[in-house]
Amino acid sequence: MSTLTARRAPVDTTPGARRRPRHTYLWSARGFALPALGVVALLLYLPFVWTGYLSFTEFNGLGDPEWVGLAKYQEMFADAGFLNSLRNTLYWVVGTLVLPVGLGLLIAVLTYGIAGSFWYRLPFLLPYAISGVAVGVIWTFILQTGGALDEALALVGIVDPPRWLLDSPLNTVVMIGAATWQGAGVNALLFTIGLQSIPKEPLEAARLDGASGWTMFRTMTWPMLTPLTTVVVGLSIVGSLKQFDVIWAMTKGGPGVSSETLALTMYKETFVSNDYGLGAAIAIFLTVITVAASVLYLRRQLSGAKEL
Amino acid sequence: MADRLRKTVLVVLGLLWLAPVYLMLVNAAKTNDQYGVVSVWAPAGLAGLWENLSSAWTRGNISEGILSTALYAVAAPLIAVIVGAAAGFAIVALRLRHGFVWFTVIFASTVFPMQMLLMPLFIGYVETGLYDTRTGMILIYTVISVPFAAFVMRNFFSGVAHQVFEAAVVDGASTWRIFWRIYLPMSTSALVAIFILQATLIWNDLLLGLTLTQSEETRPVMTALSALQTTYGGSTMPTVLAGGLIVSVPTVLVFLLAQRAFTRGLALGQY
Repeated sequence: MSTLTARRAPVDTTPGARRRPRHTYLWSARGFALPALGVVALLLYLPFVWTGYLSFTEFNGLGDPEWVGLAKYQEMFADAGFLNSLRNTLYWVVGTLVLPVGLGLLIAVLTYGIAGSFWYRLPFLLPYAISGVAVGVIWTFILQTGGALDEALALVGIVDPPRWLLDSPLNTVVMIGAATWQGAGVNALLFTIGLQSIPKEPLEAARLDGASGWTMFRTMTWPMLTPLTTVVVGLSIVGSLKQFDVIWAMTKGGPGVSSETLALTMYKETFVSNDYGLGAAIAIFLTVITVAASVLYLRRQLSGAKEL
Repeated sequence: MADRLRKTVLVVLGLLWLAPVYLMLVNAAKTNDQYGVVSVWAPAGLAGLWENLSSAWTRGNISEGILSTALYAVAAPLIAVIVGAAAGFAIVALRLRHGFVWFTVIFASTVFPMQMLLMPLFIGYVETGLYDTRTGMILIYTVISVPFAAFVMRNFFSGVAHQVFEAAVVDGASTWRIFWRIYLPMSTSALVAIFILQATLIWNDLLLGLTLTQSEETRPVMTALSALQTTYGGSTMPTVLAGGLIVSVPTVLVFLLAQRAFTRGLALGQY
C-alpha cells in the first residue's frame, strides 16, 4: 500500500494506456462527474442563458419580462453613460497593459538572478494579498482632497493639486494607479517564473557572442518569454475588464457616472436603476469582449492541460 | 556595478510600494484628536489603535462580517475541492466518456464575468428563499470555486499512473473507496493549494455579497467594510483604516505562509 499513497506516483507511460475500454466504469464515472457538472450547469450556465434572454426584454425586476428584441442594445449604444463607461473601460485595459504588466516585467527582470531576490520582490507582492476593497480604502485615504498625497505635494510647494478623484478622466487614471499597486507584483512573479524556465544554454551562447544588456533582452530573453507574456497579457486584460472592487471602494463610479466602467454600469443599471434589460445587454457586451480576450490565454492553457 | 543600479531601483520602487501600507498602519493608530492635527505622514504612537480597531469591529459590524466570511471561506472551498476532485477523478481515473469535452465545459465557465450571473442569481435567490441566507452564500461560493478545483485536480490526477487505479481494483476496492482512500489522500498538496487560493478569493469578495445579502448577519466582510467606508459621519478615517487593517491581516498572513500555493495557482491562471 505504501507505493499507492506515495506523493508522486510514477507517471503512466504504458503505450495504449489511453485506449483501454471505457465502458467498465460508465455509470460510476458519470456519478463522480455529476455534482460538478450539475452545479456548474444549474448555477453558472443557466444564469448565463437567462441573462442573455433578459437582454432582449424590458424588465424592472417585478412582473414579467416583456420581449423587445434588440431595443435594449440600441438603447445601450445610444446611451451617453454607456459610451463614457466604454471609454473608461478602454482606459483600464490600456492602462493595465502599460502599468502593472510593464512594471511587473521590469521588476522581474531587475530581480532576476540577484541575491535575495525574494526579499526585493516582497514589497510588490504584499499588496496582492490585500483585497480590492481594502486597496480602495487605502488609496481613497491617499487621494482624497487634502489627503496624504496632497499633503506631501504641499511640502514641495504644490499647493493647488489636481482633484484626483473628482475630475474625469483623472479619477480613472489614478484608480488604475491603485490597481497597479495591487497587481504589479503578481505579474512580476509570473514573469519571474517565465524567466526561470528559459533554458540557460542559448543565453550563454549569446553572451559568448558578445550580447549583453538591452540587446540580450530584446533578441534573446523577450522572444523566449513570449508564451508567458501572452498569458500575462490575456489575464491582465480580462482582470481589467472585470475590475469592480477598487472602483466601487474609491468612487462608486462617480462623481455622477464619470469613472464608471462596464462592470459598474451593469451593476448600477440593474440594481440601482432597476433596468434589468439594459443591465443584461451591458453584461452580454462585457462578456463578448471578455471572452474574446480570454481566448488569448485560454487556448494555450487548455492545450497545455491536454498534454499533461 | 549593474547589480548595484538594479538594487537601487528596486529599493526605491519597493519603498514607494510600502508607503501606502505605512500610511495605513500609522493612521489607523491615531486617535481622533491626533488625526488632522498631526501630519498623516508622521507617526503618532499607538494611542488610538485599540480604540479604532474596536470601533471598526463593533460599530462598523466588521465582527459579524468576519464571522460570516470565515464560515464562507472555509465551508465553500472545502466542498468545492471534493466536488472538483470527484470530477477530475471521473475524467482521468474512470475515463469518463468525452471527458475532455466535459472538462472544457466546466473550466470554460470561468471566462464569463460575474456580471452575467448577478441578475438571475438575485431573482432566483429571492424566489427560492436563498437570498440573504448563509446557505445561499456558501452555495454560490462553492459553485464559483468548483471549475478551478476541477481544473487543477484533473491535471494532478493525469500525473498519477493508471496502474494505481487498476491495482486497487484488483484488490477489490470500490470506486468510491479508491477515490476517498487512495486518490484524495495522495493529492493533499494540490487540495490544500486549491483550498487556500479559493478561500482567499472568497474572503476578498465584494460583488456577490453586495448582490445577494442585505442583513448584517449574512453580509460578508468586504461588503461590510465598503459600507463602513461610505457611512459618513458615523466613522472617522482612522476607524475605516483600522477596518481595512483587520480584514487584510488574515489574507496577508495566509499569503506569506503559503506563497508556494499562490505561485502555483498563478501559473495555472488563477489571478
